[in-house]
Amino acid sequence: MTEVWIGIFSGIAFGFVIQRIGATNPQKMVLAHLMKERHIPQFMLLVVIFSAIGLFALEAAGGGTTRVLPTSLVATGLGGVIFGIGWGLTGYCPGTCWAAVGEGRMDAIFALLGGLVGAATFAQLHEALIPAFYMPTNYGQVTLTDWFGHPGVALGFLILLFGGGVLLIGRFWERQA
Amino acid sequence: MSKSNAPYWPILPSAIALAGIMVFIFASFGPPASSSGFVTLLKGFFLQVAPDYAAGKAHYRMMPGPGSWLMAFVLGMAIGGFIGGRSFGQPVTDVPRDWEKCYGPSRTKRYLATFVGGFLILFGARLAGGCTLGLFLSGSTQLALSGLYFGVVIFAVAMLTARIVYKKRSHYHD
Repeated sequence: MTEVWIGIFSGIAFGFVIQRIGATNPQKMVLAHLMKERHIPQFMLLVVIFSAIGLFALEAAGGGTTRVLPTSLVATGLGGVIFGIGWGLTGYCPGTCWAAVGEGRMDAIFALLGGLVGAATFAQLHEALIPAFYMPTNYGQVTLTDWFGHPGVALGFLILLFGGGVLLIGRFWERQA
Repeated sequence: MSKSNAPYWPILPSAIALAGIMVFIFASFGPPASSSGFVTLLKGFFLQVAPDYAAGKAHYRMMPGPGSWLMAFVLGMAIGGFIGGRSFGQPVTDVPRDWEKCYGPSRTKRYLATFVGGFLILFGARLAGGCTLGLFLSGSTQLALSGLYFGVVIFAVAMLTARIVYKKRSHYHD
């Protein structure tokens, strides 16, 4: 039961912050995709930078539970393409649509219902799709640390990569909010 | 318009706040995820109406059911969004402004589009193994290649899709 309370508490905090930043507003998300709104994508990259530093410190202190998802060249990529079409079309992703439903956005309710049908459809086809698309090009739980050999160097690379992304968005996305 | 994110919060302190929540979740549970919440909800539904079906499908077997952190988290997200929305001065819209410019004020059309879009984001997320949070944010935080790869693909495809979907601004005259 503790797990449920921690989950609800975490969700409330998460949902509140993403509402306050504007990530639950599909108009803002669509403008971000059209390169007319810089705050959402810059925010996302900054979150990764700070949470990667935080997790690094947490792990150094002996805490935290991690679970790296495998990289499947085909399934991760194809899933990303299908996901990207839906994200670009609606301006919602699986997490933001829950918070947007709470916020009272009617179109988010339909995104959530569509999501339930989508997840149920995938679950029905799991036995056929995972062996066909996921397993053949599955490279396993690869991380940047495997590439760089040292977790500190890998973290430094991630910070440079995402920091560069923040600067590029600032350079190429329009200023209009 | 201004450089700031107003009326929304400025991004730098907000990013530090959300990262703090992320690290709290890593410390108290594990990698945060939200598309999995859909699966736990469905599993709970099928455990009630068709227990044999839920027990026979690998995708439901690999996920916890209701009463799990994953399920509680998405419900919490809705509560957090509710509190955020109620305490925020801006009214919410059912049809976003740029959608209306292209396709008119019809709610039916917009709801149909978000239903289809919702289907695609969850189908895609389940195939890839996670969503914006579970794969991109959580994964990149753990320096996972899968998260970085997924992130590049979803941003590129969403930007391309938005350019096609929201192109014909003059299509609808009001």
